[in-house]
Amino acid sequence: MKRKLVIAAVLWISFILQTSVFPMLDFLAAVPDVMLFLTVSIAFMQGRNEGILTGFICGLLTDLFYGDIFGFQALLYVIAGYFCGSFSQIYFDEDVKMPLLLVTVCDFVKNFIIYVSRFLLRGRLDFPGYLKGVIFPEAVSTILITLLFYRLVYRINHSLVEKEKKGRQSLWIRD
Amino acid sequence: MRKKLDINGKGKNLLTVMIIICIGLILVTLTTSAVAGPVRDFTGYLVAPFQNGVNNIGKWLTDQFSGFEDVKELARENAELRQEIAELTQKNNELVQNQTELARLEALYALDKKYSDFNKMAASVISKDPGNWYSTFVINKGSSDGIKVDMNVLGQGGLIGIVTEVGANWAQVRSIIDDESNISGMASSTSEPCVVTGNLLGMDSGKIDFKGLRDDDNAVTEGTSIVTSNISDKYLTGLLIGYVSEIHLDSNNLTKSGTIIPAADFRSLREVLVVTDLKQKKEN
Repeated sequence: MKRKLVIAAVLWISFILQTSVFPMLDFLAAVPDVMLFLTVSIAFMQGRNEGILTGFICGLLTDLFYGDIFGFQALLYVIAGYFCGSFSQIYFDEDVKMPLLLVTVCDFVKNFIIYVSRFLLRGRLDFPGYLKGVIFPEAVSTILITLLFYRLVYRINHSLVEKEKKGRQSLWIRD
Repeated sequence: MRKKLDINGKGKNLLTVMIIICIGLILVTLTTSAVAGPVRDFTGYLVAPFQNGVNNIGKWLTDQFSGFEDVKELARENAELRQEIAELTQKNNELVQNQTELARLEALYALDKKYSDFNKMAASVISKDPGNWYSTFVINKGSSDGIKVDMNVLGQGGLIGIVTEVGANWAQVRSIIDDESNISGMASSTSEPCVVTGNLLGMDSGKIDFKGLRDDDNAVTEGTSIVTSNISDKYLTGLLIGYVSEIHLDSNNLTKSGTIIPAADFRSLREVLVVTDLKQKKEN
């Protein structure tokens, strides 16, 4: 329970930072998708179910304030959470390489879907232009965020998981 | 490295449920418009005040940094500004003369819709779209301040955008450079209508597109101002959008299209003015 509250707080702070601070940083070529980074990391550390729920919350927050189609981003993030959660049982989560790869793949796929569904269908055909101008810069800045902050999220989550485990054990002992 | 792979994991059921919820939400928003009102209001209270606070901290920090600017720079700027003041005073005198003439002519035509007639409300930009595809932003005034959907937003001498969603203490504005923005505009010199659309790829060079302009007399040239047209059903008439930067004849040999440099600078948006008059009301 405590862990979930902490994760919710992390999501909330990141959303505020993502919307009010990152867009003002001119040296970033594009705004990093912090919500995707969090969805992917938490899914990768905790498995499918938490990944799906985290993705849903992240996507819904984005949809609430900025999207015009309610639920579109949420759908993308839910699928990303499920996809990345599938890897949590195959790989150990200390290493940053696997989440880095997952974030890259998810970011590209997410932006490709947005391009096809919201731009290509309106007759915006210049895919290389969008790739160069939007998709690639966003992927780079999101990768940067993952490199810088994955360890932090990992540590926060790991320490809370340990506490949860200890709590369960002591219950057993007490009984 | 390998742990046991759980193929028939528990995630599948939850995934199905969530996907159905998401698709349901999408379908509901596509068919009706009022779906997320209460949720939006609730999360608005959770998020908007904090965005406002972070924004104020940011403003304070920028002010602190700008205090360190080079003194020489300021002196040079001061000299430039003095010169500009002289020029502007000169221009102002001319404009005052024009104004009296305009007032006389307007009285003649009984025109009552003027720029300065609109009721405006100042608001500050507290957050921007978290992605890179859209150019929407959120302002710190909402329905409790009297903001309504479809109100026009001005700033920095030109049209900024239009209110698309309203919460209790925030409102979402879609700027005119957004890729999905379409405005019915007209060339101020000929009053011929055209469509002004945002362009994501042109954003870096600070340009938006216009198309469908009839200009048989070649009266529209670079630098002609484009304003919102009288036939637009959401934008008030005569708001300055920007100036024509390139213009060329379409392949149909009838209409012209090209690019516009918006009058407002969208990179440094902080304060905006919301026009609290709606177009429909004016018509009534």
